[in-house]
Amino acid sequence: MLARPGLPDFEYIRAETPQDVFRLLGEKGDKIKLLMGGTDLFIQMRDRSEGAEILLDVKYLPGMQEINFNKKKGLTVGAAVTLNQLSIHPDVKTHYGILSQSADTVGNYQLRNRATLGGNLCNASPSADLAPAALVYEGTVCLTGPDGNRELGVDEFMIGPGKTALKAGEFLTGLHFSIPPPDAVGQYLKLGRSKKGDLAIVGVAVLGYSDSEVPSGFRFRIGLNSTAPTPYRVPQAEELLAQNQITEEILNQAADEAMKVSAPIEDVRATALYQKKMVRNLTFKSLKEVWDLLKKS
Amino acid sequence: MAIHAISLIVNGTKEQVQVPSNMTLIHTLREKLGYTGTKNGCEAGECGACTVLVDGEPVNSCLVLAVEMDSKEITTIEGLADSGQLTPLQEAFAELNAVQCGYCTPGMLMAATALLSRNPYPSEGDIVEALVGNLCRCTGYQRIIDAVQKASRNGGAR
Amino acid sequence: MKISESGLIGKSVPRTDVIDKVTGCAVFVDDIQFGPSLLHSRLVRSPYPHALIKRISTKKAEELPGVRAVVTGKDLTARLGLYLIDRPIFASDRVRYYGEPVAGVVANTEDIAVEAAKLVKIDYEVLPAIYDPVESTQPDAPLLHPDLGSYTVANFIFPEPGTNISEHFKIRKGDVESSWSNCAALAEGRFSLPPIEHVPLETHTSIALSEKSGQMTLWASSQSPFAMRDMIAQCLGIPHNKLRVIAPLVGGGFGGKAGVTMEACAVVMAQAVEGRPVKLRLTREEEFVGTSVRQSLVSEIKVGCDKDGNLLAMELTYYFGGGAYNDYGVNIARAAGYSCTGPYDVPNVKADSLCVYTNHPVGSAMRGFGMPEIHWGLEQIMDQLAENIGMDPAEFRLKNCVRTDDEIVTGMKMTPIDLEACIDKVSKAIDWEKKEQPTAPNKKRGKGIAIMWKAPAMPPNPGSAAVVRFNEDATVNVEVGGQELGQGSFTIAAQIAAETLGVPYNSVTVSSPLDTKYSPYEWQTVASRLTWSMGNAVKAAAEDARTQILETVADHWGEEVDDLTIKDGLVISFKSEREQPLDKMVIYGLPNEDFEGWKGGPVIGRGHFMPTYVTNLDPETGQGTRAVVHYTVGAQAVDLEVDLETGQLEVLNIASAYDVGRAINPDLIMTQIEGGAVHGMSSAFEALKFNESGEVLNPSFVDYRIANIADIPRKIHGDYVETPIGDGPWGARGVGEHVMVQTAPAIANALYDAVGIRFSDLPLSADKIYLALERKNETG
Repeated sequence: MLARPGLPDFEYIRAETPQDVFRLLGEKGDKIKLLMGGTDLFIQMRDRSEGAEILLDVKYLPGMQEINFNKKKGLTVGAAVTLNQLSIHPDVKTHYGILSQSADTVGNYQLRNRATLGGNLCNASPSADLAPAALVYEGTVCLTGPDGNRELGVDEFMIGPGKTALKAGEFLTGLHFSIPPPDAVGQYLKLGRSKKGDLAIVGVAVLGYSDSEVPSGFRFRIGLNSTAPTPYRVPQAEELLAQNQITEEILNQAADEAMKVSAPIEDVRATALYQKKMVRNLTFKSLKEVWDLLKKS
Repeated sequence: MAIHAISLIVNGTKEQVQVPSNMTLIHTLREKLGYTGTKNGCEAGECGACTVLVDGEPVNSCLVLAVEMDSKEITTIEGLADSGQLTPLQEAFAELNAVQCGYCTPGMLMAATALLSRNPYPSEGDIVEALVGNLCRCTGYQRIIDAVQKASRNGGAR
Repeated sequence: MKISESGLIGKSVPRTDVIDKVTGCAVFVDDIQFGPSLLHSRLVRSPYPHALIKRISTKKAEELPGVRAVVTGKDLTARLGLYLIDRPIFASDRVRYYGEPVAGVVANTEDIAVEAAKLVKIDYEVLPAIYDPVESTQPDAPLLHPDLGSYTVANFIFPEPGTNISEHFKIRKGDVESSWSNCAALAEGRFSLPPIEHVPLETHTSIALSEKSGQMTLWASSQSPFAMRDMIAQCLGIPHNKLRVIAPLVGGGFGGKAGVTMEACAVVMAQAVEGRPVKLRLTREEEFVGTSVRQSLVSEIKVGCDKDGNLLAMELTYYFGGGAYNDYGVNIARAAGYSCTGPYDVPNVKADSLCVYTNHPVGSAMRGFGMPEIHWGLEQIMDQLAENIGMDPAEFRLKNCVRTDDEIVTGMKMTPIDLEACIDKVSKAIDWEKKEQPTAPNKKRGKGIAIMWKAPAMPPNPGSAAVVRFNEDATVNVEVGGQELGQGSFTIAAQIAAETLGVPYNSVTVSSPLDTKYSPYEWQTVASRLTWSMGNAVKAAAEDARTQILETVADHWGEEVDDLTIKDGLVISFKSEREQPLDKMVIYGLPNEDFEGWKGGPVIGRGHFMPTYVTNLDPETGQGTRAVVHYTVGAQAVDLEVDLETGQLEVLNIASAYDVGRAINPDLIMTQIEGGAVHGMSSAFEALKFNESGEVLNPSFVDYRIANIADIPRKIHGDYVETPIGDGPWGARGVGEHVMVQTAPAIANALYDAVGIRFSDLPLSADKIYLALERKNETG
């Protein structure tokens, strides 16, 4: 079925307190959709021609649009912080460069004025651009519900295409990232069908830093998207790079590991074979570039 | 369906309007308030034809609910020229023929206006980055880039 | 008669519409306000590519509160069409593509119409579908139009009833069979391309109003309000004077808004709710699924040359996948047939150009009208042949390209052109001889060249008319029926009128919107024909008005018309050096001496143009005296590089040159050349994608990607040459479509130069290029 014109019917309610949210979610359950930026939600509603009883706007709840950084505790980002706010924030740029860089690759500037970090993760798309960065910074999601607050690793949060670990009545309030290792460097490489403005066909975030505890003296974290039901890390490759002296050959082997782990599907955007090859090539390229940076510093 | 009474400041004029919950800003501007300069190209945030400024920042008005915009300042293409005086950006688009069919032009101008406000001397890369979300099928874009650069030299968005 | 030369021809005057367009004042059809009487509508579309309609139940939809009418094709027996009248407004017995309109719902609001459309229940019996145009010609293919033999058809189109072949155009020239043995080198290939969309930024929108008086008004985003009126009037039995089509500015057309797309649906729905305007606005998704497409093509080409590289023979078969209805597509196959060789001088040619029904969306006009499709294969095969005979591709083209007065494939004498100059210009611009270094070690770089020709493809006698009206203050309204789609046709009309009349450019306004009730006739805004045909009509109308003025003044002064001219809005006499301002006299005339009566009166000039010299072609050989009015030719060269790690291709430079006859407005020509180069580049990567059930998989800007601002070449170079033709205003001819015809093969040739792989099938994609590179590396 084709998308309908305009949005289907719903009632709009702006939540003022978390209790409003718990109460309405308790009463109406899945007849409610939570709204932050709406950039994915509205499109899904048009595509499915499915309204909702209530669109509950949670972006004005306390803290939802705040970014806080503390040199000891790290970074906390409200779920409704927009991608443009995230990308230009000086502390994010300085300490979490891959987050800032990833945010800039989403859609286009106008869209990023509405799209939110929380939305990018809650939508749980396999191609979520912020997920690889969130994975390599080992972020945690902050969830709140009628029974209190809890935290989960980003890797535990997205559990399948469009599926998250949110329990009934819960919602995402923000993300937390501890301070990365002091010499950490990294980048997000994204391959789309266009140079800019596309979804990721393959996206790879690599974070590298020195670690005298491991034989190679370095650790790398590799986060990928678009090539499995959820964004994922590649522990096999990361272990290989920790245990062996870093050479071009080892970087290649690590990239091969990433390719082995990847499980892309054939779709209108790319063949599965191409995506697998691109996991390898982009992982290698990214590892090599990050390794070159590490060697310099 | 509930109806909400909201007020907007559109191009400096206060407008009071009743909108259903599911009405997006583009439909409110076009159908409730008659600002038809803002164009509907995809209703999916992909083409940028509906770009307007909300408190000075560009958004796709197809992906914003009107009810969320209560008391916001909205600028549309109709709000750029001041009593017949085109902005340097509008002038540059006209002089360089950065316009063909004209359907993408309002959104393009709004996105470029916002760019010049936050970055009066953008590089070519900055312009490309700011206008990736504005599709044009006619011009091939080069003249649009040239026009933004020309406007930048001639005094930016204003 | 002397015509004053105020120097407007060849001058890049500003566009007439540009201030409206940068201020948001330009009115497109969706911008017209109808107030509370406006009703809204939605179409119910087929979910199958091929099925029989067993039953349609509209009862539940009709019962939904707020629904005004539900219409189907039940009572509509007549079909729509321009060349082959084969298309129902609403499918009633059979659907032939995914997305075909089956019913229409009119309601108080769009939301209600959406809900009501869901309630229309249609039972289908699914039939086997066919998508490949070659397979569709086979005897065992499912037959899409069993009634093909009963359809009305133009006398130059040759369908084959009992098959899916809707047009078969033949060229039999010289003796191909015996020529092969004389060839020192041969090249053979099979090439294909998928259906692609026009993707105007403005989706198809129309509003129809049926009044009790019998008057029907249709506001539509249309490239051809007159053809639209003609087709709908004929189909629904409405007298032409009772069907009024109003067409404001068009937000991009590219051929997709020629003819009739969904506008007849709006008219039928309006008939069901007399007195209330009904709006039908397609969503972007519908624009991708439910409007016409550029047809798919499979081409099989064999070509040979002698030892010196002179072309000797060509054998061609074109299979155009025309989609579900071929009312327009048949003429594309015909145009591809009579221009089948491309811009080459080939003595022996055998060609068969077929249009074939398939269960894809309706194939129709798109910028280039068959030429981008055939040049995709032609321009690659010429590169292969050049390589086989050991010649440089540019040199090979210079040797074989068509020249003025050559006898071309149809036996017609080539109209004046200078293709060699175009080839030279692009070769220089791209530094053809120089092998460039890639910008990075993981990249490979290459250059490619391609040339093109295209004639306006149309019936032999499409007409243009124009009216030039003076106002009291000597400003001028020019009325035309040709549309402004962004190409600048109104600016050209204003320039031609001002130049001919001898009045300032900014005193001329071109009337818009087009309105069949008031605007003079224009066949259609297609075929790159407006500067030429409408230009001739405007020039004639302006000359008529000018003559009226000069006769009045000559009489008033007692001088001869030949001694007078108009310059900057003043009538002047070369003889007496008297002057007469135009204001007032162009309406009120001039008094006789001593005010003994008056002369003149309101000045209205009329003009028309219709080519009268095009002849039919022999149906068995395709030979005739004059197949077309003229050809426009051009060349493009591309410099690109390929990222070996990703397969991504980056076009660094596109250089284009076309022979425009005479540049009326050079900058507008450059805007066509630049925009066309990017459109052409984009087209190499575009495809509508279907699953096995014929469903379109990518009906959005996310998955049907058109070039965005980050995709454009680093350098876009444009140029033109001027070899005037005899029948165009100041020698001018069109160039609007030509600018994207050969871009895709130029890219493919450059890609071959870079990596040594031939890509015969569009679309190109990084995916396809990368995997081909890997296969090549593996096999050595």
